[in-house]
Amino acid sequence: MFTGKQSKFETMVRAYSAELYRYAYWMCRDRFLAEDLVQDTFTRAWQAWDGLRDDKAARSWLYTILRNERARLFERKRLEIDEAQELDDLIDASSAGPHEDLEMRQLLSALPVGYREPLVLQVLGGHSCAEIARIMDISEGAVMTRLTRARLALRKLPGIAATRKAKSV
Amino acid sequence: MNCFEFRKLLLADPRARTSGQDRHLAECPACANVAREMENLEARVHDAMRVPVPEALAERVLLRQKTRVPALRVWALAASLVAAIGAGAYFYRTAGNTEEPMLVAATLGQNHPAVAAIAYVVDHEPQLLREGRSGDPAVMRSALVKLGLKLPANGVTVRYLGKCPVPSGTGEHIVLQTALGQVTLILVPNHPLGPRVTVMDRQMTALASPARLGGYILVADSLDHVRRIEKMLM
Repeated sequence: MFTGKQSKFETMVRAYSAELYRYAYWMCRDRFLAEDLVQDTFTRAWQAWDGLRDDKAARSWLYTILRNERARLFERKRLEIDEAQELDDLIDASSAGPHEDLEMRQLLSALPVGYREPLVLQVLGGHSCAEIARIMDISEGAVMTRLTRARLALRKLPGIAATRKAKSV
Repeated sequence: MNCFEFRKLLLADPRARTSGQDRHLAECPACANVAREMENLEARVHDAMRVPVPEALAERVLLRQKTRVPALRVWALAASLVAAIGAGAYFYRTAGNTEEPMLVAATLGQNHPAVAAIAYVVDHEPQLLREGRSGDPAVMRSALVKLGLKLPANGVTVRYLGKCPVPSGTGEHIVLQTALGQVTLILVPNHPLGPRVTVMDRQMTALASPARLGGYILVADSLDHVRRIEKMLM
């Protein structure tokens, strides 16, 4: 019984630790905190293992645990998240670097976490809008709105905007 | 579907293309431009989000979990540590990439894209190669670009080009002849394949990975060959 549980747990750790790390990183933008969050997520998952009734739901379950752990951590450390910051201001303030990935990472970091989170879940995690809604505990419509706003903001990135202008000329 | 509805869906989820969107795309050049722009944006976002994962992260998670099991003795902890370091060193030496574990088909189920790809390669590919049909190279090139992949100029030849069934519809089925032997590459543009995973079944190894705008599956006779071919395609 215990061996089966341990074996399943190990499989889950090996299958999902990398993607959970990236999700955590984009939630907190700190590599050390991200690893701590992944560690805490699996610790809590192990403790609550008996509550997992459907193996197929394990992935979403882990994302939800990580999300809760992050909320707990940020509450403990009293880290502030300014979600009210205007997207347009953030984009205009971003600096265009010579390296595309770096430029895009800066821009993604500048997105309020409420917009960045569903984008990471969709682009990296491959989750549908309905799955993201369940993980974030918001409506599917709200997820679609946030994703739309996030992409509209990212479209203003200098390189992307230049391409659009060139095409329209 | 009008332009507003098309763009609303596109911005919310560029990869989940409906048949209504496809029809609109075919008859609206302005929205086709927006779709191309979104493909470019999505590829850049995807690449930027893939920050490096710390070496041996999974091993450290497991080590911590094992040390918390009360019945575990000191020697078991030491053994775990040695195993973790060993595993880390092995992965570092062989591939420098500990991201995907090797799973067996039973873990994922027969409907998983990677497991289904192995079944397709083993059961259908020999017949397809005998028939020798050939698909459209332009479609293959377009799919490769969408996924951020490229065929190397030397050392790889395309032996077969066609379509194959994948869970989301059809994929581009490419059989490559390489110095490492025959390798199958299945391109699934516009449809995510879920998390990156490697699986062994029927003496074959498959790697399914998300990529820019969709995903791809590589099937070869060993994990080492799969990884080496993947590096050639990057």
